[in-house]
Amino acid sequence: MKNRLRDAIQSSRADFTEIRLERSVTSAVTFRGPRLEGATVSTDEGGFVRCLNRGYGWGMASFTSLDHLSAMVARAHELSLAVRLDTPIRLADVPAREDDVVLPLGEDVRGIPLDVKKRHLESLNAMMLGRDRRIVDTQAGYRDEVVEYWYTNSDGTMLSEVRPEVTLSAVAVARDQGTIERALESLGRRSGWNAVQHREEQFLSAADRAVALLGAPRVRGGTYPVVLDQKLAGVFVHEAFGHLSEADFVYENPQARDMMTLGRRFGGPELTVGDDGSAAALRGTLPYDDEGTPTRNTVLIQNGVLVGRLHSRETAAHMGEIPTGNARALSFRHPPIVRMTNTYVANGSGTRDDLFKDIKLGIYACDAQGGQTFLEDFSFTAGHGYMIRDGQMAELVKNVVVAGNLFQTMDRIDRIAGDFQWNELGGGCGKGGQAPLPVTEGAPHIRISEALVGGSVR
Amino acid sequence: MISRLLEQAGRRAEAADATLKTDETVTLLFEAGRLKSTSWSQEQGVNLRVLSGNRIGVAGSTAAEPSGVVEAALASAAIADPVDLLLPAPAPLPSVRTYSPAAAAASVSDLSALGQSLVERLSHDGWQVNVTVERSAGSVRVANSRGVEATYDVTAVSLAAEVTRVSGDDILMVGDFYAAADLPAEPVVASLAESIGRRVHWAEQAAPPPRGELPVLFTPAGSAALFLPIRQACQGKAVLQGVSPLGGRIGERAFDSSLSLVDDPWVAGAPGSRAIDDEGVVGRRLPLVKDGVIAGFIYDLETAARAGVPATGHARRTTFGKPQAAYSNLVLSPGDLTWDELVAKVHDGLIVDELIGVGQGNVIGGAFSHPVALAYRVSGGEVVGRVKDAAVAGNAYELLSRIAGLGREVEWRGSLAMPPILLEGVSVAPR
Repeated sequence: MKNRLRDAIQSSRADFTEIRLERSVTSAVTFRGPRLEGATVSTDEGGFVRCLNRGYGWGMASFTSLDHLSAMVARAHELSLAVRLDTPIRLADVPAREDDVVLPLGEDVRGIPLDVKKRHLESLNAMMLGRDRRIVDTQAGYRDEVVEYWYTNSDGTMLSEVRPEVTLSAVAVARDQGTIERALESLGRRSGWNAVQHREEQFLSAADRAVALLGAPRVRGGTYPVVLDQKLAGVFVHEAFGHLSEADFVYENPQARDMMTLGRRFGGPELTVGDDGSAAALRGTLPYDDEGTPTRNTVLIQNGVLVGRLHSRETAAHMGEIPTGNARALSFRHPPIVRMTNTYVANGSGTRDDLFKDIKLGIYACDAQGGQTFLEDFSFTAGHGYMIRDGQMAELVKNVVVAGNLFQTMDRIDRIAGDFQWNELGGGCGKGGQAPLPVTEGAPHIRISEALVGGSVR
Repeated sequence: MISRLLEQAGRRAEAADATLKTDETVTLLFEAGRLKSTSWSQEQGVNLRVLSGNRIGVAGSTAAEPSGVVEAALASAAIADPVDLLLPAPAPLPSVRTYSPAAAAASVSDLSALGQSLVERLSHDGWQVNVTVERSAGSVRVANSRGVEATYDVTAVSLAAEVTRVSGDDILMVGDFYAAADLPAEPVVASLAESIGRRVHWAEQAAPPPRGELPVLFTPAGSAALFLPIRQACQGKAVLQGVSPLGGRIGERAFDSSLSLVDDPWVAGAPGSRAIDDEGVVGRRLPLVKDGVIAGFIYDLETAARAGVPATGHARRTTFGKPQAAYSNLVLSPGDLTWDELVAKVHDGLIVDELIGVGQGNVIGGAFSHPVALAYRVSGGEVVGRVKDAAVAGNAYELLSRIAGLGREVEWRGSLAMPPILLEGVSVAPR
C-alpha cells in the first residue's frame, strides 16, 4: 500500500498533496426488547485526496475505489485550480515523519466470532429486561471497529496505523400506565474486547434508573445553584466552551477573534481546561491527527485565563500559532476539520459532598443525555437529578435541563472537586455534517452558583 | 452486479433483495465570502438481505466488485431470530420526478456562480458569510428475488448560507437553506437571502424576554420541538414496542382539527420523493394525522410483519445495516393567515425561529424545555427585537391540541413542508 501511496504522491502536480486511505471492519449487534434487531459484519474502504496550489483553494476528492489513486490526485489538483484566491492558504509546518503504529487492541475484536458478541450483548440485555416488570422496552447495542489507516503527504510524512474502537450502549424504557421513562448508559473506548467485559452493573443501573424515574417528580423550573457530576461537567465543558476554542470558528472572523483573545479571563483561578489527544486508550485518542500532526495535551484555560486553542495546520498558520493535532475527519468521506479529542476540566480539591455543604436549595444534575451549543448559548439534558436540600442530597427528580450563557456560566463556577474521572461515553460529537466523531470528556464534580434549570414557569 | 448477487444468494437462501446506490457529489465551500474549497466524491454501495430458514441476514459493501457479501449476509442470518417476511411482488410504479438533467449537467463553475450570487446578495459590513453549494447525481436500483427490478436517477441540490455577526460577547448566527432535485431559480436564491436578511434585521434590537404563558409563533425552522415527538410516535416500530403515546389510537382525535400531516413521496422534485422504497414496496400518500385525528404510522417490511400490518413503503437502506422506516416528505397543511396577520394575532408574545437542544431526552413523551437560539419579541402586534435569554417549555401533544392559527404559505425545509404555526399558552421564562 505504501508504494502505491508514494507513486500517487509523486504523480501529483500540485504544490501540496495529501492522501488518506482507510479499510475498516465493523461488527454491530443490536437488540430491541427481547429481539435481536441485527448482527452484521461489514467492510468499508476508501480514500481521500486533498491538493493545494499557491494562489488557489483546496481541491478534494473522496472515493470508494482504491484502484485509480493517481487519477484521484489529478482530479483534486484540477479542482484546486478551479478556485482562485487573493489571500493564499498557508499551512503551518509540521516535521515530516514516518511511523507505523498499532494502537493497543485490548484483545483484537477481529478474533471474536460474531455469535460470541451477540451472546454477550444478549445476556446484558436480558439482565435489563428481567430487572423489573415495568421495563417494557430496551435497546442494547454493541459495535466494534478496526480501521487500517494510511496517511501520506508531499512534505514526506508517511504513517500507517491500526485504530480500534468499541462501544456498548443500553437504553431501558420503563412504563407505568401513561408514564414512560427512559435511562441510558454507554461506554466507548479506543480498545477491544477486554473493554466490554464486566459491564453488568451499567446495564442494571439503566434499568433501575428508568424505573426510579417513573415515580420521580419533574424538577420545578427556576434558577438554582447546580452541582454537575463528572459526566455532565465533562459534556458541559465540551459543549459550552470546547467548540468556541476550535480555531476555525474564530480565524476568519475578527470580532470572534477579539472575543476569544488569549489572556482573557474565563472562570476563576481554580479553573483549568484542556484537550488531550495523547491520553491513553480513550475514544478521542490517536497518535496523529488526520493531517499527520502528532496529538498532544493542549491547555486551553490555565487558572482562569484563556491560553490556547485547537488548530489544524491551516488555522494555525493563519493565526501564527502552533498546530495542535486537532484536524480530524470522521472517515475518508470527509475532509479534516478542527475537532476536540479528549477534553477535560482539571482537578480542584475536596469531595462532592463538600460542594453540597453550603447549598440550602439546589440541584445535583447527573448523567449526560446530550448537549448542544449555539455559540455562547448552550443547553444540556441530564439523565436524572437530585434536589439538594440543606447541604444534603435529597429526592430524585426528572426532566433536568440546564441552560445558560457560556461566559456567565464559566464565571459562576465557584467550586471544583478533586474527584476527576474520564467519562468514556459511547456517543460522539457532531460538526459540519461529520458525526458521530469519537471524543471523550473528563471532569471532577463542579458547582455553578446559579443556572437556569428546566424552564417551565409552572 | 445486483442481479448477479441475487442469483448467488438465491442458490443458498429462500429469498433475497438488494439495493445498489451510486452517487457523485460536488461540494463548494465559501468561507467568509470566499470560495475556499471544491470537493468531489464518488460512492457506490450495495446492501444485500437474505432470508434463510425464515431468518434475516444483511450485509453491505462499498467495493466495486463485492466479494463475500453473500457469505456475510448468510452468517448474519444464521444467528438471527425467525420472522415471517414476504418480499413484495412487482407492482406498477407511479411517475415521480426525482431527477433534473440540468442539475446533473451543472459544471463546477455553474455551481460556483450560484454560490457567488448568494454570497453577493448577503455581503454586508460586519457579516461573516459562509455558503455551501452541493450537487449530487446518482442512481438507485432496487431488486428482489420475486422479480421486482426498478432503477431511478436522483439529483439533489442544496444551497445553504449562514451569516455570523459578533459584537462583544454577543453572537448572532442566522442561516437558511434550499434543498431539492432542481437547481434553485433566481427568485429562490433572492428569497433565501431576503429571509436571512430579514431575520438579521429583526435581531438588531435586543428586547427583554417576556415571562408567562404566552402566544408563540413557531416558524418552520423553530418548530422541531413540536413535530419531533409526532415523528417518533408515528414510527411503526415505536407503536409495536408499546412506547408511542399515539399507538393503538388510530381514528382517535388527538390534535386540533386544523392539523393535517401527510407523508407524501410523490411531490415532484422534493428531497424525499421516490416511486418505490428501498425494499421494493410502492408507496403512496399516507395521512398520519387527518383533521386532528390519528390516521397512520410508517412501516418497513420487517416491522410491519411483526406488527401484522401492511408495509407502507417507507424503508430506507444505507450500504450497511438493515432497512429502517423513514419519512419521505412530511407535509403539514397550511391555514389561511398571512405572516403579518399571524404576527398581529400574537400581539404580545414571541416568535421562535430556532431552539437549542431539540432531540435530547425523552422526546417521544412530548415534554420539551429549550433555551431559544433565535427568537423575536412581538409587542403590540409588531416585531420589536431579538430575545436572547429565554427558554420555552411545554408539551407538544397538549399544545397542538389547540392551534390558534396556521400560515397560508408552506415553507419547504429539506423534506419537511409546513406553514408557521401559532400556539397559545406556551410557557416562556427568562433566564
